[in-house]
Amino acid sequence: MNRYEYTFNLLKEKGEKAFIPFASAGDPDLVTSESIFKTYIDSGADILEIGYPFSDPIADGPVNQRAGMRAIEAGLTHASFFALIKILRKYSDIPVGILIYANSIYSLGYDTFCRRAADAGIDSLLIADMPPEEHEIIVGYMKKYGLGVVHIVSELTPDQRIDQICKQIDSFVYVVSRLGPTGTGNNLGENVKKTISRLKKRTSKPLCVGFGLSKPAHVKQIVGAGADGAIMGSALVKIIENNQSNKKELLKKLAVLVKQCKKATQQ
Amino acid sequence: MPTKKGYFGEFGGQFAPEVLMPALEELEKAFAEFKRDKTVHERFSYLLKNYNGRPTPLYYAKNLSNHLGGARIYLKREDLNHTGAHKVTNSLGQSLLAEFMGKKRIIAETGAGQHGVATATAAALLNLECNIYMGTIDMARQRPNVFRMNLLGTTVVPVESGGKTLKDAVNETMRDWSATVTTTHYVLGSVLGPHPFPSIVKHFQSVIGREAKKQILRQEGRLPHEIVACVGGGSNAIGIFSEFLKDKKVRCTGVEAGGKGIKGKKHAVRLTPTSDSHKGILHGSFSYVLQNRHGQIGNTHSISAGLDYSGVGPEHAALYSSGRVRYTHATDREAIDAFKLLSEYEGIIPALESSHAVAYAVKQAPKLSKKQIMIINLSGRGDKDIFHVADYLGLTI
Repeated sequence: MNRYEYTFNLLKEKGEKAFIPFASAGDPDLVTSESIFKTYIDSGADILEIGYPFSDPIADGPVNQRAGMRAIEAGLTHASFFALIKILRKYSDIPVGILIYANSIYSLGYDTFCRRAADAGIDSLLIADMPPEEHEIIVGYMKKYGLGVVHIVSELTPDQRIDQICKQIDSFVYVVSRLGPTGTGNNLGENVKKTISRLKKRTSKPLCVGFGLSKPAHVKQIVGAGADGAIMGSALVKIIENNQSNKKELLKKLAVLVKQCKKATQQ
Repeated sequence: MPTKKGYFGEFGGQFAPEVLMPALEELEKAFAEFKRDKTVHERFSYLLKNYNGRPTPLYYAKNLSNHLGGARIYLKREDLNHTGAHKVTNSLGQSLLAEFMGKKRIIAETGAGQHGVATATAAALLNLECNIYMGTIDMARQRPNVFRMNLLGTTVVPVESGGKTLKDAVNETMRDWSATVTTTHYVLGSVLGPHPFPSIVKHFQSVIGREAKKQILRQEGRLPHEIVACVGGGSNAIGIFSEFLKDKKVRCTGVEAGGKGIKGKKHAVRLTPTSDSHKGILHGSFSYVLQNRHGQIGNTHSISAGLDYSGVGPEHAALYSSGRVRYTHATDREAIDAFKLLSEYEGIIPALESSHAVAYAVKQAPKLSKKQIMIINLSGRGDKDIFHVADYLGLTI
């Protein structure tokens, strides 16, 4: 049983859903980044979603792009990224998923990246610009090293395509709450409920919803709509951005929000 | 021709966020229908001829040829298109395609502003809502085009992220598209992006090569020895090369932006072995990309905003790999000298982008015999660049 199966089974037994906080690795610097992820874990995160910073993240909004740029400017490299993951893996056994762009993997080599990712303790890769059509280039390497596949599904994804995508997925389905990049807009799209119920009819894979969740009420709403997990990114990254100069305050604010959101999954 | 999945050899593909995949599929299907639709084709042909000014002339540049003392140089006058560059052909085609798909809003990115102006023009003509994304550095150096777009009723959206040039404008346009994909068509301006965009843009721009071939055969009775075009994303170059690629004796040469020199980081040379151009994935396709060893995309430099881009169209990457097209580069200084030279000898002020192709011709034409023919694709006119060139030369206008 992999870490995802173990976690989702455990949550089911407890009658809870997963809360999945996101941050970019190395934002605002490697040392603080380590503390941020440890704070997430200590505050009740069930799964970590860690962004691999990329200079041109077309699926992300400006908040996450700035986070990535801070990390790149602070010197994030392939080596320091994997070192960070190794530290977190020693700290906790919760599943760690990576949100990454294809060029970051290609630049190291698909085989090498997947091997090092598995060695570091990463559980899954969501490659933001590698749809199922292109995924066969890398999926063999992911399977070889036991890395889970996560894909995105949106309200526009047709049924037939959902079936095709879900066949490839072995971790969870990343359901986007609305169209557009991460971190824009304040209201959770109504269509997400329809998408969740459409997906429920077609797959038994866990459904985790992301993009546009910024407060505990959103988490509650998503969980109420039948999702197995709620992913929060930009709202947390904004806290990191706004409190870079005061690390203590930064971690305190993140802990408060993560705890509130985790609580919202326990209904 | 690319494979069904949009690959030119190993290059191309569809590296796009999932939210865009249904739209790309819709676009592929609609484009196939669009090409078969006679009514649309007739309307497009009418607009190209009577609105756009096609066919553009193929002009024998006698003064320049005599001055350089080598090949007979012809200029394919894409600068005489309505709006002043080859870009309008693609913008009109894709805007008609948007209308064909029932989309009322179009968006685009622009570097030099020529694609922005062309798309804003097509939007005005077809009564489509239009937003153009442009880096703030490009807005500053292409002020006349920003003003033109505003006059045409388009909103120019300033892009402050990254290097504030074309690459960053593409990022923002893709983000807009992913949020508005059901109502909006992205009029991509070059042979870039995820499949089917490189094929769509090539389809519209290949008229340049068809015209040029017909014209040179009529005027000279034979094919040219060499065809030269500047390469940013690469649409004018693919446009003119496409018709000649099967004629193995015709040498095709693409000229990239050498900026301040290839040894530093201040250039946009992707298709010459350099320390920082490698195969990679950017903006939807697999091609050659300026990047560091961690896969972070590099910022570029060129005096011409239209060539200031980190990636290059995937078909160019394939043509480079196969050796069918030679790629070289011209520096900012060489482009400025060529800009002045063509203005003084032929009374034609070329766009700074096209000036890179002219700069190559200045070096190459004297090496050819007087019997040999060289065609330079003059992709656009230089009115938009006069303030920037004046600044470069330390002049006040």
